[in-house]
Amino acid sequence: MNTLSLYELNSLVRLTIEQTLNREYWVEAELAEARESRGHCYMELVQKEEGSNTPIARASAKCWRSSWMMIQPHFERVTGQRLHAGMKVRLKVYAQFHEAYGFSWIVTDIDPTFTLGDLARRRQEIIRQLKQEGVFDLQRELQLPLFCLRIAVISSEGAAGYGDFCKQLNESKFAFAAQLFPAVMQGEQTEASIIEALNQIYKSLECRVKSGEFATASESGEWRVESGEFATASESGEWRVKSGEFATAPESGEWRVESGEFATASEGAGQGDAVANSTLYTLHSTLNFDCVVIIRGGGATADMSGFDTLALAENVAQFPLPIITGIGHDRDECVLDMVSHLRVKTPTAAADILINHAQQVLDRIEDNEQRIVLASQNQLSTLNAQLSMLSQRIPPLFSLVRTREEARTQQLLQRMEKACDSRLIRSEAKLSTLSSLLSTLNAQFIVSHRHRLELLSQRLLALDPQRILDRGYSLTLHQGKAVRNASALQAGDELQTRLAEGTVTSVVTYVAMP
Amino acid sequence: MKYEEALQQLETITRRMEAGEYSIDELTEQLKNAQKLIKLCRDKLTKTDEEIKKILAKNE
Repeated sequence: MNTLSLYELNSLVRLTIEQTLNREYWVEAELAEARESRGHCYMELVQKEEGSNTPIARASAKCWRSSWMMIQPHFERVTGQRLHAGMKVRLKVYAQFHEAYGFSWIVTDIDPTFTLGDLARRRQEIIRQLKQEGVFDLQRELQLPLFCLRIAVISSEGAAGYGDFCKQLNESKFAFAAQLFPAVMQGEQTEASIIEALNQIYKSLECRVKSGEFATASESGEWRVESGEFATASESGEWRVKSGEFATAPESGEWRVESGEFATASEGAGQGDAVANSTLYTLHSTLNFDCVVIIRGGGATADMSGFDTLALAENVAQFPLPIITGIGHDRDECVLDMVSHLRVKTPTAAADILINHAQQVLDRIEDNEQRIVLASQNQLSTLNAQLSMLSQRIPPLFSLVRTREEARTQQLLQRMEKACDSRLIRSEAKLSTLSSLLSTLNAQFIVSHRHRLELLSQRLLALDPQRILDRGYSLTLHQGKAVRNASALQAGDELQTRLAEGTVTSVVTYVAMP
Repeated sequence: MKYEEALQQLETITRRMEAGEYSIDELTEQLKNAQKLIKLCRDKLTKTDEEIKKILAKNE
């Protein structure tokens, strides 16, 4: 047997291939690698064993610049993706064997609809899994807060879309506060980068007062935790202010524990002096966000592969704040859009949504304000009318009362006068009766006494001894007493004899007894 | 003294007068007393009337 040179042998292979594989084939394969160099596209094709990662076939493929220039724009427009590792593709190839460079499939066409179908299948798989986990609809169950002004933005720094978004917000009449959480928005790092940004936002959400009162003096911009717990989910553990005050200077965004106790979950309780040693705790200048907006700058190529992953979808779906996506693409929605609270096409549309929402809330407030004012005015004027009607009725009512009361006192007075009069009349009548009675009685009394006196005087007149003496009788007295019996006298007694005129004194010489 | 109190006293005096419960000596004194009470009641009514008018005028 002849010994061939390698060139001769390889020529033999080339001839054989050129003769037997002389046409074009459609092949399905997975891309293990895809890269561009000097306008050509170099790929590594692989077929893996069903259900495992073990390759059962492998080959290199090339797409020359002349073909690639035609294929690439069409493919990317239809699929919204660049060729990248892990992508399933359907390629039109013919075989080429070069003595110096070996075997390679030369790609003359790529079927984007196959890739699209595959992507859709994968998306369906992700959706199925999200639904199984029960997180698919979580975002749509959230509501944009009424005052949705503090916005966490996930976008690439300096992207035109982010600029447009901010400009739109700033030009509105509302006091939006957008804070950027930078992330890579295309390429392989998209997924991890956005998840990291979400985690950053989540951490800042955790820096909040979990319970208790929170008050601010608006002029000074000083925030005060008056009582309650303050916790952060920082890696060092949970910080807890048991009591005391927090203050922050709004410029620096630094939180200061001014007094009070604090405790960490890891180190146990510490006293106020421990706070004094490390006075500043930089938490976050913004305590909270109202919503998250994920936007992608305009002009970027339509590489959507980073937005169709399970991990990102899970993170977005379970995020506690409503997430608005504006990642701008023409084709069917991606998984990120499907799980987000709200999706719009462009960053400016996202800004419009927020502005409209704020406007609606403002309209609602103003509408209610107007209704309150109207209702109050109506009620006030009704009440005023009622009041003036009432007040008009008061004076006549009172004059009735007054008349009645005056009549009452008048009546009492009359009754009193009458009572007094009748009392006086009665008394006078009684008096006059008495006086007439008295005069009658007096007259009778006097007459009878006069009569009696007359009788008495007559009787007295009759009894006057002078008259007997005048008739010739005399009166004998012994020691001043009238002598009636001779036996009372003795001889020698001196007697006085009263005559009608004059008195005689004599001595008894003899007493003759009867 | 409140208007009602004064009125009550007036009524009491009247009733007792009508029942002839006062002596003649007391009568004059009670009548004077009643006159005072009546004046008090009338004054109160007049004053109230004026005040009501004044208050209502202020509100308009």
